[in-house]
Amino acid sequence: MTTTDLLLQQTINGLSLGAMYSLLALGFTLVYGILELINFSHFNIFMVGSFVAMMVLQALGIEGQSVILTGLPLIGTLLAAFLATMLVTGLLGVGIERFLLRRVRYVKGPAAMITTIGVSYILLNVVLLTAGADGKNFPDPLPPIQFAIGDAVLRLREIMIWVIAIVLMGGLTWFVGFTRMGKAMRATAQDPEAARMMGVEVDRVIMMAFFLGSALAGAGGVIFGLYYNYTSAAVGFNAGLRAFTAAVLGGIGNVPGAMIGGLIIGVIEAMGGQFIATEWTDVIIFSILVLVLVFRPAGLLGRVAPNKS
Amino acid sequence: MSFDSTHDGATPATVGPGRDGSLLLEFTGVNTYYGDLHALKDVNYTIGKGEIVSLLGGNACGKSTTMKTIMGVVRPATGTVIFEGKPIEKLSTSERVRRGIAPVLEARRLFPRMTVFENLEMGAYTQKRGAQFNEDLDRVYSLFPRVKERRNQLGGTLSGGEQQMVAIGRALMARPRLICMDEPSMGLSPLYVEQVFDIIQEINRQGTTIFMVEQNANMALSIAHRAYVLQTGRVVLSGTAAEMRENASIREAYLGELKVDAAA
Amino acid sequence: MSVTTHPSASLSAAQKKKLGLFLLTLFILIFPYVHDNDGDIDSMANAAAYATLALGLNIVVGFAGLLDLGYAAFFAIGAYYYGILTSFQVMPLWSPGWAPLAALGLVEKMNQGGPDLVHFTLSFWIALPTAALVAAFFGVLFGAPTLRLRGDYLAIVTLGFGEIVPIVARNVDSVTNGAAGLNGVQAPHLFGSSFGVSATPYYYVGMALVALLIFISIRLRDSRIGRAWMALREDETAASAMGVNLVRLKLLAFAIGAAFAGMTGVFFVAKLQTATPEMFGFPVSTMVLVMVVFGGMGSVWGVVLGAAILQLLQSWFLKDMSGWVNAFGDMIGVQWLAHVDLVQSMELIFGIILVVMMLFRRDGLIPARRKQPLLNFEQQHAEVRRGGFVGLDRIPKWQPGRGNALEVRGVTVKFGGLTALNKVDITVPAGGVVAVIGPNGSGKSTLFNVITGLVHADGGSIKLEGAEILGLAPHKVLEQGVARTFQNIRLFPNLTVLENVLIGQHTRLRTGAIAAVLRLAGTRAEEARALRWAMDIIGLFGNRLTPRANQIVTGLSYANRRRVEIARALASRPKILLLDEPTAGMNPAETLELAEQIKSLHELGLTILLIEHKLDVVTTLASTVVVLDHGDKIAEGKPEDVRRNDEVLTAYLGRAVREAVKAEALAESANVV
Repeated sequence: MTTTDLLLQQTINGLSLGAMYSLLALGFTLVYGILELINFSHFNIFMVGSFVAMMVLQALGIEGQSVILTGLPLIGTLLAAFLATMLVTGLLGVGIERFLLRRVRYVKGPAAMITTIGVSYILLNVVLLTAGADGKNFPDPLPPIQFAIGDAVLRLREIMIWVIAIVLMGGLTWFVGFTRMGKAMRATAQDPEAARMMGVEVDRVIMMAFFLGSALAGAGGVIFGLYYNYTSAAVGFNAGLRAFTAAVLGGIGNVPGAMIGGLIIGVIEAMGGQFIATEWTDVIIFSILVLVLVFRPAGLLGRVAPNKS
Repeated sequence: MSFDSTHDGATPATVGPGRDGSLLLEFTGVNTYYGDLHALKDVNYTIGKGEIVSLLGGNACGKSTTMKTIMGVVRPATGTVIFEGKPIEKLSTSERVRRGIAPVLEARRLFPRMTVFENLEMGAYTQKRGAQFNEDLDRVYSLFPRVKERRNQLGGTLSGGEQQMVAIGRALMARPRLICMDEPSMGLSPLYVEQVFDIIQEINRQGTTIFMVEQNANMALSIAHRAYVLQTGRVVLSGTAAEMRENASIREAYLGELKVDAAA
Repeated sequence: MSVTTHPSASLSAAQKKKLGLFLLTLFILIFPYVHDNDGDIDSMANAAAYATLALGLNIVVGFAGLLDLGYAAFFAIGAYYYGILTSFQVMPLWSPGWAPLAALGLVEKMNQGGPDLVHFTLSFWIALPTAALVAAFFGVLFGAPTLRLRGDYLAIVTLGFGEIVPIVARNVDSVTNGAAGLNGVQAPHLFGSSFGVSATPYYYVGMALVALLIFISIRLRDSRIGRAWMALREDETAASAMGVNLVRLKLLAFAIGAAFAGMTGVFFVAKLQTATPEMFGFPVSTMVLVMVVFGGMGSVWGVVLGAAILQLLQSWFLKDMSGWVNAFGDMIGVQWLAHVDLVQSMELIFGIILVVMMLFRRDGLIPARRKQPLLNFEQQHAEVRRGGFVGLDRIPKWQPGRGNALEVRGVTVKFGGLTALNKVDITVPAGGVVAVIGPNGSGKSTLFNVITGLVHADGGSIKLEGAEILGLAPHKVLEQGVARTFQNIRLFPNLTVLENVLIGQHTRLRTGAIAAVLRLAGTRAEEARALRWAMDIIGLFGNRLTPRANQIVTGLSYANRRRVEIARALASRPKILLLDEPTAGMNPAETLELAEQIKSLHELGLTILLIEHKLDVVTTLASTVVVLDHGDKIAEGKPEDVRRNDEVLTAYLGRAVREAVKAEALAESANVV
């Protein structure tokens, strides 16, 4: 392929990856904006999401690439998979908040963060123990349609991913910007005590943030499975690292920042994999993370700098 | 610029509990502690319906603790807080707002990255949407034309005085029966202080009871009906505004020197 | 203070401890001979390795409060250091230049059917200390970027570095043999013979290493350095204001923690005779963190116990338990139980432990601090003492310098658009007492913050006895002689009264990390002197603080906590003492007591700058009063004059009331006549 075509191909790949990372980063930043808590379990909720989706699709009779759907049945199946997964992961997130994190919400120091590390490990290992460590073949009901742009290939599934991501991100933006609960979330993130004084029930707002964030993580998991036709218990950590870097890059706590950050990281990963080497991609991503935190902690769009108060 | 007589003419003659005789808020025997720091010592206040009552005092005398106790941020160790005849000391902050108490916070504390309109919306969080909301919004806009002008500006970009207007408007959107103001004149230029106090009087005329914690005794006494003076957590002076204005002991109380008979 | 009934009836706590230690040592020494199972001895050796890792992380997380999630990186560095320098992985071409090193036994010439090559043969015993140094260097390198970050971000950056190291190890094949791992790592030699395949010699080396590191940890914990770490863990700002050099101490914690891990790396790799990148990733860092959290953050014996329990649980019990659970599963016909491998679920157990500990027992198995019951009212009560401080004669007089102790000239401080201080001038004469008063928001605390270096000034100068201190870091300002208390009391919450006061002396003592560990005569004498001085200062407050010297400060009354803060500031032998509302929250009797105590300090020659609201205190103490309002100085003079000053009254009260006061003043002067 010519270089331009390679670039185009990797941009396409990068945007698809980026869409997934954006959803993950968004979910993470929603919680951080209100609680200033780094939720390590977020990324294994993503992983659980991909497993739930896999089970839903298998329950609908779709194994591997045995069934190919189009039109309404396809949309219906995907809708079922997404909704079911998002509901399950959303509730999982709420459960974690309500029964575990709420107890340590006001404890000074790293107690809450360490708790999320513990929860993350529990999620990971429950899946490992019940489903095994091997990679799973994720059901693929999508028709293998693709379009050629020069030598680069644009697959139907990529367009579908972009559409779904845009719908979800748009939905979230609308929710946060225009609904009563969404505004309550923004108010709580900016000044929790003043929000309380307006009659906002901060506990409910926090649960909603966890629900939405975890639901988005679940959606990210479904996209992961559909994109790679694969999932395993280990996918959380890698995707998590990238999504976390995306959130920090965009500006932690900042919603549009998370979206932009996700896209940038996705493209960097794709380009990095092509032009440098996949082994070093991790190092590049980590380096970006460290550099942003050290030199520009507020990120690209952020206002809140994570420095000593 | 003299502030002395600006508001005197508008001060109503009636004093004492409630223009219609009913008590809106009663503090009885309240003791509040921060750890073992005794912040409010056996404090009694009454606020009658339709009044403007002011709480005065120097630094660290317990004014802001009083505010926090009313709003539910702090719970009293002993004593009762009764609002409209019902005890509220065990209720959550949001519940108290729903019952009809709205705050105007110290240093305003608008939501900085929400627009003026959204801030007002948040003020109406406990209220139903629809016709009522629009009515209230219109009322606020007519009280504060400047606020209407800036309704799409981010809260954090307004000047101190403009923020104070929005903060008061925000409280009004909750259709409260009692507005609690924490140091409304703090950080404002004299011009704005005068405007703000004019508006407080206007709101009160329209029927809202006001409880105002203020360090600026002069301004507070020029619009209040009654006042209490706190010194290190204890009420040391109380009376009608007219009485307080003549009382030179206020100075001593502010400077922490007023000798009280109560045991230390 | 200890209660012994009959001399022979029971042992004192200290004796019990010694006996326990003796028995433990005995057990460790004879274990391999009593229990001759090589696998079990190997597990114990592994437990030793994890114990040393936990000890190292304990210094970073437990003592200094820096949450390091990438600790395994230093483990890797030590491991690969030894591995590369003893295996056959890196073999440069031989040249005569290598000869001297060969003579020293560090390298040897080898020939594998080609040109002559250099085989590194670094001795295990030399590798241990040198790896510590190499790892310490990386500790500083990785720690430096995190110094200004908040706790959770510090954790993330350290996690980042922690992941980069194994990735580099995996990808720089030529040096590390990538994912396949180093092989042919040399076993240690002692007196000419190699350790061989038995686990026993490794067991003893491991135990010796644990003992050494326990010893070092305890020495550090109980020294000036340990106190400083705990101060910075509890409250960085206050620690800095009390003279603790945050940068140096944080880097020191990273370095020493890394050194422990580096040594463990050498030991571990020597035992396994291989090193692979998988041995050093996030799961390992997490495992060590779990051991520290489980055992008790900050508790030396706790983390050793935590590491031992978790490691032995994994290698001894889980395998057996797996067998029992499988048999049980077979018996009741539940497939999943019959096949589950509990050893695999160790990570799950780790996760559960983290959650359970954080929710229910954050102090760990063996808390670093024994919980003290809160003192009741009787225990806190003390008679009000009049007449100033007790035992001032024991305190050597401060020598007031000549001229002015403090000169603040034209200092301006802006926060965004708000001017907190506007070209303020304040002069504090040597040995004098100046009070600063003013309504809320007038800039009083900002003044203190800018003098002590906690806040940046946008103009002006601040001179202490003629030397410029504006722009100095807070710990340097303390060193120069400016000590302060805080408006809302910033004591180190989990430290005792005595420890808080000792921190005040941090800059006046000299013991560094090495001296702390060696604890030679000079260090012991210095600690004894510091202790005496601290008790003398505490004793100034009569019986209010002395009986509670070993009480953790959160259990103290508000007034007593204020007194401890003053004692802490005094302990640093300052030239000028900045007191921020020292009598706040005290009743009139206590207020009077403290006012007289402060006055007696002044008689010692100490210079005092005071923020106070209570005018009677100001009148008792101050020769000069400065009034601030909205960042401007609006009055200055004698207390009686300032009280009558028009502008001051306006600032506090607004204008109308002033008229009444003026009228009163007129009336008074009329009466006098």
